[in-house]
Amino acid sequence: MSVGIQSEAIDIAAEYAQLVGDKPGAAVATFTGYVRDHTDQHAVTELELEHYPEMARKVLEDLGQSAAERFGLSNWRIVHRFGRLAVSETIVWVGAVADHRGGAIDACELMMDTLKTDAPFWKREQGPAGTQWVASRDSDTQRRARWQSG
Amino acid sequence: MASGTVSITIKLFSALREALGESEFELALADISEASAQVDVAAVKALLSRRGAEWKEALNQPNLVHALNHKVVFTDAAVSEGDELAFFPPMTGG
Repeated sequence: MSVGIQSEAIDIAAEYAQLVGDKPGAAVATFTGYVRDHTDQHAVTELELEHYPEMARKVLEDLGQSAAERFGLSNWRIVHRFGRLAVSETIVWVGAVADHRGGAIDACELMMDTLKTDAPFWKREQGPAGTQWVASRDSDTQRRARWQSG
Repeated sequence: MASGTVSITIKLFSALREALGESEFELALADISEASAQVDVAAVKALLSRRGAEWKEALNQPNLVHALNHKVVFTDAAVSEGDELAFFPPMTGG
């Protein structure tokens, strides 16, 4: 039940082993996000992630805690990177352990949908035309809103 | 800022930090209360907007996010000594 905010690559195998431990719950779900080489409009050669360290940690810890309460998780972990990232590198990794697959999968979705709009990270893309800050997407806001009721 | 001055910390991130050329500075509470009856986020925005056209434009964009002590707030949130108030565009992590 913890948060990692780091510039180095995410060691997925180590994260998974740590999440599951010696006594795996009945269901484990994880999600890994990677740097894409394109957006809807143009190619991307590199990504830079700025963040607000103290607030990012608080938001992600609160998010993991609320997912744990909502879905009865026995363990969870959120890892988010900052700094310069090359195409195909990992950006984010979340994992959840629950009694049933629904809780584990839903918890990962909740954590991802919420962190995209609520955690203070900002992407800047480098492409053939130079660098630009990534604009927030309405689709992300809509996905986030799904979790506010029910 | 002289020691002993009652102040808050202002932080700027992302495109806002870049546009305004500052990432962190102190703001005296006395300057805010002198400029406005309510010492809140709106008053801080109004005071900083006096710094010039870039500041006014950047701090009054409709999707600006304000975080007081690491929590997103509305502009009517009161600010007090030692608070950390951050301004930034919508977040785009993940």
